[in-house]
Amino acid sequence: MELHEIVSDLIIDTKGLAGGLLGAPTNTSSIALFLPELVVCATILLMLLVRLFRWGRTFHSFYVAVLGCALALAVTQPQQLLAEGGVPRIEIFTGMLVFDGFTVFLRTILLAFTVLFLILTKISGIPDREDGGDIYTLVLGAVLGMCLMASSNHLLMVFMSIEMASVPSYALAGLLKGRRLGSEAALKYSVYGAGAAGVMLYGISLLAGLVNTVHLPTMGVELAQRLPTMAPPEYMVLALAGMMVMVGLAFKLSAVPFHFWCPDVFEGAPAEVGAFLSVASKAAALALLVRVAIGLSAIVPPGLPAGQPIDQAAQTAARDLPGLFAVADEKPADNSAIGADPRAALQPMRSLLGKLIAVLAIITCTFGNLAAYGQTNIKRLLAYSTIAHAGYMMMAVPALIALAGQHPQQAQNAVSGLGIYIALYLFMNLGAFAIVAFFRNAFRSEEIADYAGLIRRCPGMVICFAAILFSLVGLPPLSGFIGKFAVFAALMDGFRLTGETYLLIVLLAGGINTAISLFYYLRVVKVMTMEPESPTRVPFALPMLSAAGMFTIAITLPTLLLILWWNWINESALGAARHLLT
Amino acid sequence: MDDPIRLLLILIPALPLAAAVLIGLLGPRVLRQQSHWLAIAAVLASFLCSLLLMRELSFLQRAAGAGGEVALGIGYEEVRRLWTWTDVADAYQQPRTPPGESRESLVGGGSRDFRIDIVLRADSLTCMMLVMVTLIATLVAIYSAGYMHGDPGYWRFFAYFGLFVFSMTMLVSVSNFVLLYVFWEAVGLCSYLLIGFWYQKPAAAAAGKKAFLVNRVGDFGFALGVFLIWTTYGTLNFHDSLRGGELEPARIQQAVAAERAGEVVPAEQEPVAGVFGPLRLADNELRPAGQPRTSAMISLAICLLLLLGACGKSAQFPLHVWLPDAMEGPTPVSALIHAATMVTAGIYMIARCTPLFLVSPDAQLVVSVVGGFTALLAALIALTQYDLKRVLAYSTVSQLGYMFLALGVGSLAGVTAGMFHLFTHAFFKALLFLGAGSVMHAMGNVIDMRRFGGLRRVMPVTYITFAVGCLALAGVFPLAGFWSKDAVLGAVHDKVHELEPHDSDSHGPAPHGPAPHGPAPHDSSPHGSAEGGGTQAVERPESSADDDVTPVFGLSNLLRGQIFHWLYLLGLMTSFLTAFYTFRAFYLTFHGPELIPPEAGRHAHESPASMTVPLGILAVCSALVGLLLDRSYLDGTNSFANWLLWTPSLGFPAAMRTTLPGEFHLSVAGWSTLMALGGIGLSSYLYLGSRHEIHGIRQFFDLAWVSGWSDVESFARMRQWRVARWVRECSAAVGLEWLLRLVVGALLLVVLVLSAPLLLLYYVSPYKLSYHRFYLDELYELVLVRPLRGLARLCYGIDRWLIDGTVNFVGRVPRQIGDVMRSLQMGLVPFYALAMVLGLLILLAVQLLG
Repeated sequence: MELHEIVSDLIIDTKGLAGGLLGAPTNTSSIALFLPELVVCATILLMLLVRLFRWGRTFHSFYVAVLGCALALAVTQPQQLLAEGGVPRIEIFTGMLVFDGFTVFLRTILLAFTVLFLILTKISGIPDREDGGDIYTLVLGAVLGMCLMASSNHLLMVFMSIEMASVPSYALAGLLKGRRLGSEAALKYSVYGAGAAGVMLYGISLLAGLVNTVHLPTMGVELAQRLPTMAPPEYMVLALAGMMVMVGLAFKLSAVPFHFWCPDVFEGAPAEVGAFLSVASKAAALALLVRVAIGLSAIVPPGLPAGQPIDQAAQTAARDLPGLFAVADEKPADNSAIGADPRAALQPMRSLLGKLIAVLAIITCTFGNLAAYGQTNIKRLLAYSTIAHAGYMMMAVPALIALAGQHPQQAQNAVSGLGIYIALYLFMNLGAFAIVAFFRNAFRSEEIADYAGLIRRCPGMVICFAAILFSLVGLPPLSGFIGKFAVFAALMDGFRLTGETYLLIVLLAGGINTAISLFYYLRVVKVMTMEPESPTRVPFALPMLSAAGMFTIAITLPTLLLILWWNWINESALGAARHLLT
Repeated sequence: MDDPIRLLLILIPALPLAAAVLIGLLGPRVLRQQSHWLAIAAVLASFLCSLLLMRELSFLQRAAGAGGEVALGIGYEEVRRLWTWTDVADAYQQPRTPPGESRESLVGGGSRDFRIDIVLRADSLTCMMLVMVTLIATLVAIYSAGYMHGDPGYWRFFAYFGLFVFSMTMLVSVSNFVLLYVFWEAVGLCSYLLIGFWYQKPAAAAAGKKAFLVNRVGDFGFALGVFLIWTTYGTLNFHDSLRGGELEPARIQQAVAAERAGEVVPAEQEPVAGVFGPLRLADNELRPAGQPRTSAMISLAICLLLLLGACGKSAQFPLHVWLPDAMEGPTPVSALIHAATMVTAGIYMIARCTPLFLVSPDAQLVVSVVGGFTALLAALIALTQYDLKRVLAYSTVSQLGYMFLALGVGSLAGVTAGMFHLFTHAFFKALLFLGAGSVMHAMGNVIDMRRFGGLRRVMPVTYITFAVGCLALAGVFPLAGFWSKDAVLGAVHDKVHELEPHDSDSHGPAPHGPAPHGPAPHDSSPHGSAEGGGTQAVERPESSADDDVTPVFGLSNLLRGQIFHWLYLLGLMTSFLTAFYTFRAFYLTFHGPELIPPEAGRHAHESPASMTVPLGILAVCSALVGLLLDRSYLDGTNSFANWLLWTPSLGFPAAMRTTLPGEFHLSVAGWSTLMALGGIGLSSYLYLGSRHEIHGIRQFFDLAWVSGWSDVESFARMRQWRVARWVRECSAAVGLEWLLRLVVGALLLVVLVLSAPLLLLYYVSPYKLSYHRFYLDELYELVLVRPLRGLARLCYGIDRWLIDGTVNFVGRVPRQIGDVMRSLQMGLVPFYALAMVLGLLILLAVQLLG
C-alpha cells in the first residue's frame, strides 16, 4: 500500500467523504462520531480560557460546565438507540475506538450523570467560586476519559483511557484541601492506582507479545487461531497476562482484593465525589470490562470503517475484514484456517475469563456486603455498598462470556441486563450520596448514629432516603429490583443454555447477598425512623421546597416510578447491546 | 387530542388519582377541612367523562351494527394502549396442536411473548360499570363532606377516597388479566385503609386486617387462575392484537387473513388472539387444547380458581366473613366500597369471563350453588342482627349471592340479569347505607337498633328515603329491586325449563332422584358426552356449546335441572327473608316509641343538606332505574340488557347468540311479589304496634321450651305438687318408699338421657345459629386461626433463635474480619501493594490449579 493511499484513507477516516461535520446523520467520519467528546474538550478549554479574563471570573464555572455537558448529551443523540436496526458498529480513528450502540448508551449515561452531578455540586456548594473552575475541569477531564473507556477498541486505548479517568479522580479525592483525611485518601488512591496501572501495562505488553496485536477484535481472531495449538507454558503466560489486565480493571471497579482504596477515599472525599466515583467511574469500568471480555473471548462482528457512507462501508468491510488500520502488521490469515468454528476454539479462553470474573464478582459482592455491616460512617457504608454493587454488576459478565460462544443473542441480552442495572444504579447511588451531602450541610455529621430520629426533623428527606436504600437492596416495587432481575435473569439464561454450573453458583451467591444486604441498609432506616432524636443536635431545617429537596425528589422519583415505565430502558439497553456479537 | 375515546379513558381514572395525590400532598397543611372540594370536583368530572364515553361508544356501536336491533353476535370494543410495560420475547412455547385443525394459527403453535401493555378498553360492560361507580362515588363524596365533617383525618379520608375511585375505574377498564389483578389488589388496599380509617379503634384495625387476610385467600386463587390462563391460552390480554402491539382491528383482520392464506408474515405481524377477543370468541375456541377430559379439567380449574378470587372480593361463602366486620369503617365507605362498587368486582370479573365459564357447565353450576347458598345463609343471619349496618352488610352478601346465582345460569338472560341486579343494587344499597349513616350521625355513632327507635319524626327525610330503599331491596313493584330480582329469578326459572327432560328423553319420567349415569366417557367424540346431552343436542342444535363440553362432575342434565329448581325455590325463599329483615330493621329504627340514646345529646336532628341531597337523588334512582331500563313487560325490550349485549364477552360467544335476554315472566313476578309482600306483612304484623308476639317467636326459635323441659329445678318444684305429695304420703303409708324412689330415679334418668340431645339442640337453636352467624367465625377461629397462630409462633421461635442467631453470627464475622484488617492495614500503603500482589498470586494459583 502506497503512502499517499494511507494518508488519504486516514483523511477519509477522520473527516469523511462527505463534507459537513455537524448535524449530518449520515456522516460516519471519526470526528462526527466523536463529537460529544469533542464538545466536552471544548468545554474544558472554554472554562480554562474564560478564567483568564476578569469578567470571566464574575460568574460560576458551573454554568459553562453544565451547558457544555448538556450540549454534549444532546449531540450524543440517545434516541438512535431506539431506532430500527440499532446503531451500526463503526471503528473510528483507525480502529482505536469503536462507535456502536453500547458507546452511545454509556455516553448518554455518563453525560446525563455528569449534568445531574454538576447540579448537585451547585446545590450543595462544595466547590466555591474560586475552586469551581479547577474542580469542574477535573470532573470533565475524568468524564472524557470515561467516555473513551466505554468506546475503547484497543488495549492501548484501554490503558490510556483508564489513566485519563483516574488521574483527575486522584485530585478530586483530595478536593477538601485543608482536610488531612482527604489528602491522605488522595495519596493512597494515586499510589494504589499507579501500582495497578503498572501491573496492567505489564499484562498488556505480555498479551501483545503473545498474539501480535492489541486491537481487541483482531485479538479474538488471533486467539481463536492460536489457542488450539498453544503450548502449556504459553497458555500460562496468557492466563497471567489476562489476569494482569484484569487487575487494572478490578482496580477501577474496586473489586476485592483490589478495593482497599475505596472506603478510605470515600470517607476522605466529600460525598459528592463519592457519588461521582461510585457511579460514573463504575459505569465506565464495567463498560470497559465488557469490551475487554468480549474482545478476548468472542469473535466480534466486523466493524465498518469510518468516514464512508454506510452502504459503501459495508462493502469495504466485506472486502478486507479487520479494518484497514488494524494494528496487526499483517492481515490475519483467512478465517477458514481457524477451523470450522472460531467460537469453539475460544472455549478455553471463555472458561478461563468467565471463571475468573465470576470468582471476582462473588468475592467482591460478598465481601462488600459483609464489610458494610460494621460501619458507623455513612460514607464508608456506602463505599462498601458500592463495592457490593460492583460485584452484582460484574455478575452479568460471566453470563455474557459463557453465552458468547453459542448464543450471541442471549449474550447480548446479558449485556443489556447490565446496561439496565447501570442506568438504574445511577439514580439510586447519586440519590444516596446527594442526601448524605445535604445532611452533612444541614448538621455537619456523616455518622450514622447522628441520623437518629431524623424522621421527625425532615420526613420528606428520610422517606426519599429510605426508598433509595430499599431500592439498593432490590425490593420489588422499586427500580433496583429491575436491575437485579435483569442481571439474575441473564445468569439463569446462561445456566440454562450452556449448562455451566459456575453461573448457577454466581446466581446463588447473588441471591444470598441480596438477602444479607437487607440488614445494613435497613439499619440506617431504623436509626433514622425509630430511634429517638438526640437532644443535643443543633436545630436545622431541610424543607422539601428548597433546591436540595427538589433535587432529592427529582432523583428519587425515577426510583419509585420506573417500575411502571421500564420497557423503554429495556429497549434502549437492548439497542445498546445489539451488534456487540455475532 | 383527536381520539376522544382515548382521552376519556385516560381522564376517568386520572382525575381521581390527581385529586388523591393533590389532597395527599396539600391536605395536611393547606386544604384541611376543604379537602372535599377537590375530591368532589374530580369524581364529578370523572362521572361526566363516563357519560361522554358512553355516548361516544353508543354512536360507534350504532355505526358498527345494524342500528336499533338487538346486537346479538356483534360485540364492540375500543381498546387503547398507553404504553408497554414489559415485553419478553418468546417467553412461552405453546404446544402445537395437531395439524389440520383450524385453531393451529390462532391458539396453538409457536412461541408467545410475555407482553404486558398498559391497555384500557371501552365496551358496554366497562361503560356501565364506569358510570355506576363514578355516579355513586360522586354522591358519596358529597355525602362524606357532611358526614366526615370535623374528623381529624378529613383530608386523609378524601385522599384514600380518590385513590379508591382511581383503582376501581381502572379495575373495570383495563384489558389485561395482570392489570386486572393489580387493580384488584389496589382496591383491596384502599378497602383496607378505609376500614381501618379510625385505626385508633382496635376493632377497626382488626377488621381491616381480617378483610385483608381473607381477601388474600381469594386472591391467591385468582393469581393461580391467571397463571393457568397464561399457560393455557398464551396471552393475558382480553383483546386481540398483533405481536408487535398493533391494536387496529383492520390490521388484525388483514394479518389473520394473511396467516390463513398461508403467507409467511414477520413476527411482529402475527396475530395474537386475546382471551375474550373476537378472534377466539367468534370461533368458540376457548376450549383448551388436549383430550376432551383434560381440556374440561383445565377449563373447570381456571373457572373455579377465578371463582375463588371472586368469592373473596365479593364476600361469598365461605369467604364472606370479612364484609360484616368491614362495617367498622366510616359509613360512606361502607356504602361506596362495601356495598355498591368494590364488592361487585367479583361479579364484574365473572361476567367478563363469561366465555371461560361457558365451556365449563360444572363451574357454572358451582357459581350458582355458591351464590344461592350464600344468599340464603346471609339472609338467615340478617334476621337476628341488631346492628343496623350489619343487617345491611349481610343483606349485601345475600344480594351478591343473587348475582352469582344469575351469573351461574350462564345464559344471556342470566348474565344480563346478574349485571342488572348489580346495577340497581348499587343504588338502593348505597341509599340504605347512607341512610343508616345519617341515623348514626344523628344518634352519636350509636348503631344498635335496640338503643334507638321511632325516629320517623326526628329525621323525616332519612325516613322517607330509607323507606324507598327498603321497598326497592325487598323487591316491591315498581321499584328497581323488583325488576332486577325478577330478572334473576326468571333466568334461573328458564334454566330449569331448558334442562328439564323432554318427552323424548330416553330416561323417561324420572322426576325424583338422579338418572343412572356413569362417569363421562373418555372418547373424543363431542357428541358422545352424555346420553341425555346427546339426544338433546340432536333435538335442539342451538345448544351446541353445551354438548361440546365434557362434564367433569358427570351430572346429568336432569340432576342439574333439579339443582337449579331448588336454587329457584331458594331464591324465592330468600326474597321472603329479605323483605322480612329489611322491614324489621326499618320498623325497629323508625317506628315504635321514640327512643334516643344519651350519646346523641340534645341535638338529635335531621342531617345537613349535603347528606340529605345525595339520599334524595339515590332514592329517585332506586325508584325509577328499573322501570326506565327494563321494559320487558311492555314490549320485551330491556334497554340495559341490549346495551350490555354489545360487550364482546357476552355478544360474541356462539352459545350466547341463541338466546334472547330474559323475557318477563308473569308467574315468576307474581311469586316473588307474593314472597316480598308476605315478608313485609309478617314484619309489619310483628314489629308495628306492640311487639309482644316477637318475644314468643324468638323464644320458640331459640328452643326455650327445650330448656324448660330440661330444667332440673322444675323437677324440684314438681315435688311440691299436690299429686306428688299425695303419692309420697301413700307410699310412705304402705311402706314402699324405696320403690317410689327407685321409680322416680329411673324416670329422672330416662328424662335426662332423652333430653341431653335436646339440651345440645338448645345451644344450636335456629335463633342462636342466626344470631351467632352460624358460628362460622368461631369455626374459622378454631380450625384456621388458632393453628395458624401456633404455626406463626413456631416460625417466630425459629426466626428468633435459628435465623437471628445465624444472622447475628454472620453479622459478627465480617465485623471481626474488619477488625482484623483494620489492625493490619489501616493507613499502611505498602500493605495495599502487598495485598494486591498477594491477591493476584492467589487468583492465578486458583486459575491454574482449578
